[in-house]
Amino acid sequence: MTFPSGTLLAQSALSGVFIGSLYGLLGLGVGLAWGLLHVINLAHFAFAFLAAYLCYQLASVGGMDPLLTLALIVPLFAALGAALQWVLERFDVSPLNSLLATFGIAAIIEAGIQWEWTADFRKLESVYAGRTFKVGVLFVPLPELLTLLLSLILAFGIWAAMRYTNLGRALRALAEDAPIAAAFGINRRAHALVLAGVCGALAGIAGVCLALTYTLTPSQIYAWVGVVFAAVMLGGLGSALGPLTGGIVIGVSEAVTMAFVSPSWAPIVSFSLLIGLLLLKPERS
Amino acid sequence: MLELRDLRVEYGAAPALWGVSLAIPERKLVCIVGPNGAGKTTLINAIAGLHRAKSGRIVMDGTDMTSLPSHRYCSAGIAIVPEGRRLFTRMSVRENLEVGSYTRAARKDRDRSLDYICTLFPAVRDKLDSVAGSLSGGQQQMVAIGRALMARPRLLLLDEPSLGLSPLIVQAMFGAIREVNAAGTAVLLVEQNVANALEIADFAYLLEEGRIVAEGAPNVLFNNPELRRAYLGIVPGH
Ligand SMILES: Nc1ncnc2c1ncn2[C@@H]1O[C@H](COP(=O)(O)OP(=O)(O)O)[C@@H](O)[C@H]1O
Ligand SMILES: [Mg+2]
Repeated sequence: MTFPSGTLLAQSALSGVFIGSLYGLLGLGVGLAWGLLHVINLAHFAFAFLAAYLCYQLASVGGMDPLLTLALIVPLFAALGAALQWVLERFDVSPLNSLLATFGIAAIIEAGIQWEWTADFRKLESVYAGRTFKVGVLFVPLPELLTLLLSLILAFGIWAAMRYTNLGRALRALAEDAPIAAAFGINRRAHALVLAGVCGALAGIAGVCLALTYTLTPSQIYAWVGVVFAAVMLGGLGSALGPLTGGIVIGVSEAVTMAFVSPSWAPIVSFSLLIGLLLLKPERS
Repeated sequence: MLELRDLRVEYGAAPALWGVSLAIPERKLVCIVGPNGAGKTTLINAIAGLHRAKSGRIVMDGTDMTSLPSHRYCSAGIAIVPEGRRLFTRMSVRENLEVGSYTRAARKDRDRSLDYICTLFPAVRDKLDSVAGSLSGGQQQMVAIGRALMARPRLLLLDEPSLGLSPLIVQAMFGAIREVNAAGTAVLLVEQNVANALEIADFAYLLEEGRIVAEGAPNVLFNNPELRRAYLGIVPGH
């Protein structure tokens, strides 16, 4: 191992923050559904990829500005998220079974993507791609910066909504004691649909960020699962700011390991963090 | 105001209430006493909409509530202080109270209700921004009563509010319950602390093994020497 140069270290840490913010953005929806709805939603990742491909389609082929596609993608995926929740409720699916059921849905969506867009790599060439600022000695790519900003805005927005709105308080009350919350007039089913819709919308937004920053291929859906779960567990289930914090911690440790040890070590870092955490603080799971 | 007609509640196939009928008139304080396992909690939870009845009717102001989902009971004017309090322990005291005033009608009076509760329980005012789970048992019980009052109920259900509290706090609690009742809210009180409860009750029911076995004004009902001995621990002649 060579002695790290300060610039390289800073540039790696910065790229870790950027990828970590995408882990956090994906983890935000996963963690809210897990912590508050007791649904472990693997379909969230497939929703995000479906949104990424839609964004790619609308922007590359349709010539739309990728950020403008949010106007279509957000409502569409909110509806998808709520519809999924409705089905899970309809069949009274337990948390463990929700993992299996949503895995099935993810596989179906993956097949659908494969059928429509093939397994070829797709890269969105947009006005944002390749744009880079130089801040001091560091390079800051615009798509990644947009992802970080969106993640921050959404995480803090949801954190504030959970604390300061009737809807947020109702959701937290339901998560802690649903029958008593209902006895005070809170309609559990309606709130679960709303929250699932928010999670669906978050998947859609994460998908647009994916399309802006990554090369897409359908099988990549599963590559994100482990590391995003790690971010969620690190940050705490049902927390709004936790997944983003956890995601950035993991992203930075991965990027620094990649730069100074070896790229192949990066996954080991995040999963060592996760396993260590589960051993040290088992009550988090 | 509230009427139960032949209410039957089961856990699985095991009946916990065998057909209970009772009435709670407007503004009255009604008490249910009975030994452990008699079905008092089951009964009060059924009235709050927490348990589905197997058969029978729950009628509030002439409206049949029996088949309504549980979140509709609160806006009909019913609020519960459940057994064991069941506060939202990870939320602040203020947030617990705000959840209490979730219904549209209660939300309009939120500030006024909050003020009323802080006057009724001055200790709550200093704890508004504390996490509910960090409070002492007595303070938590006050918050649980406060949360129910935030709903602006016309019928307040209390399930053993004095359980596990020191005598001094119990006295304050009963004082507050009496005050709430005097202000016009009907109360259904379930108590192990029978002597205290009967002192403030207008009417009492005795529940045993899921059935009402006696009812009447407290002083009449507990004139029966056997009941006095069983429930008040008072030996006649002393
Ligand atoms: N969740 C439950 N599942 C099964 N049986 C229950 C449950 N809760 C209470 N019971 C039974 O119902 C009966 C009445 O209980 P409960 O209403 O708690 O009585 P009380 O409040 O008078 O002590 C008891 O026999 C109890 O064992
Ligand atoms: Mg009980």
